[in-house]
Amino acid sequence: MANRSRCASRQVPWRLVIELQHVTKLYPASARPALDDVSTEIDKGEFVFLIGSSGSGKSTFLRLLLKEDDPTKGTVKVNGKTLNTMSKWQVPKLRRTMGCVFQDFRLLRNRTVAQNVAFALEVINKPQRTIKRVVPEVLEMVGLEGKANRLPNELSGGEQQRVAIARAFVNRPLVLLADEPTGNLDPETSEGIMLLLERINRTGTTVIMATHDYHIVDSMRRRVIELNGGVVARDQSRGVYGVGR
Amino acid sequence: MRVNFVLSEVATGLRRNLTMTVAMILTTAISLGLMGTGLLIAGMISDMKEIYYDKVQVSIFLADDVTDEQRSAIESELESSPEIASYLYESKDEAYERFQQQFSQQPELVQNTPPDALPESFRIELVNPERYEVIAAEFPNGENGVDQVRDEGDFLDRLFSLLNGARNATIAVAVVQALAALLLISNTIQLAAFNRRNETNIMRLVGASRWYTQLPFILEAALAGLIGALLAVGGLVLTKVLFVDKTLAGPIKAGIIPPVDWGAIATISPVIAGAGVGLAAIAAYVTLRLYVRL
Repeated sequence: MANRSRCASRQVPWRLVIELQHVTKLYPASARPALDDVSTEIDKGEFVFLIGSSGSGKSTFLRLLLKEDDPTKGTVKVNGKTLNTMSKWQVPKLRRTMGCVFQDFRLLRNRTVAQNVAFALEVINKPQRTIKRVVPEVLEMVGLEGKANRLPNELSGGEQQRVAIARAFVNRPLVLLADEPTGNLDPETSEGIMLLLERINRTGTTVIMATHDYHIVDSMRRRVIELNGGVVARDQSRGVYGVGR
Repeated sequence: MRVNFVLSEVATGLRRNLTMTVAMILTTAISLGLMGTGLLIAGMISDMKEIYYDKVQVSIFLADDVTDEQRSAIESELESSPEIASYLYESKDEAYERFQQQFSQQPELVQNTPPDALPESFRIELVNPERYEVIAAEFPNGENGVDQVRDEGDFLDRLFSLLNGARNATIAVAVVQALAALLLISNTIQLAAFNRRNETNIMRLVGASRWYTQLPFILEAALAGLIGALLAVGGLVLTKVLFVDKTLAGPIKAGIIPPVDWGAIATISPVIAGAGVGLAAIAAYVTLRLYVRL
């Protein structure tokens, strides 16, 4: 298994969007670390699959990037900023540069599609005229034009996930974190979601996607970081889900 | 900050927990009302102290068979004493007049008291009110036309300690109520935060500032505190109009009890409102910091 080689330009710091240096995360309740001395770098514009069985540390990895948790040891850097030393009031600023998509969509049930997307902009104080302009744009991009006034429960699962992606992307984040975004969707719908994520990736947004879906990983042939028991078991630039599949 | 957004969140929050909100408002109102009552009593006590203490500290009651010489001897002694700031002579007639006024609500008592039953007296203000003993030694009871020397301060002290006790009890109950109100506020805010956890989770993830996320909850509590304060002020106004002004009209007119005037209520109202809003907001803020992950 060839480890991913780096060309010189990748070591220029400003291109690195995400940098983990010897990161260990211990949760108080557990004796075994969720992440154990993990070091990795992710460049601007990369598409990375984060794979591994449940409990391998994928979610912890994503949580550290959002500064939902702090590492026990090591440093986490996002866009050149060290999260360890970042003060609490700076965290919202960090999160504005990151979009999040989850397996369970997390839409607000009592708001329409457009309101759900607009919500993400309203609460960070974007002017109303900006919101009016960009929400229809992003809805069109994710393929939901004409459904702006529907409520989430009037949509299919795939459509709901598109709303969630629109909400995550509407503020043009530097990084899009997707935690098993296709986990609740059938293969065909999943494929549509993947095409959308790929499209977002082509705009220059780094996409990090935690997944169990080996069909997707195998067909996309993107960088794969495999975690196993909190350790990076594999980091491959054009990887597949697992050997022998 | 998007005012509309925040206000609509506040309104939704209050409506969604209507029963808790009502409980929160009522306990806050009772607590603040008692606090206001305590403050009014405190104000009344200091008014009364001004009425009584300043006028009279020691009374020298003269015997019925006092002679004119004895009276003028006492007077000249009072005049020359360095302990005495001022004094006032009250004749039998004046004493009876004051008595009539004081007990105008009890005409039977007035009727059954003959006009000459009340002794004439010197009402004395001391330079130092603590020096009662000196005066008592100077005018021994039962000699030289003096019937009795009485330390009015002593009686007033007892009266005021009673009033102080009433004030302290009111404030103590207010504090206990305030504690209950604060716990209710904390509970309501936890419930509100739980009800809106989807919204706040998303707000957190998309990078809404802490203030933006917390402000609706804090305003919710502050608004409830304000409504509670308004109810409390309303309660005080009703108490004045229905109880103090009616039941206590006589003693107030006679100058025994100082009236509760609108000025006092107007002074206390902003204090109550400030306390209600401030405490509720602080309770909400602390709750959010301690129990709710935002």
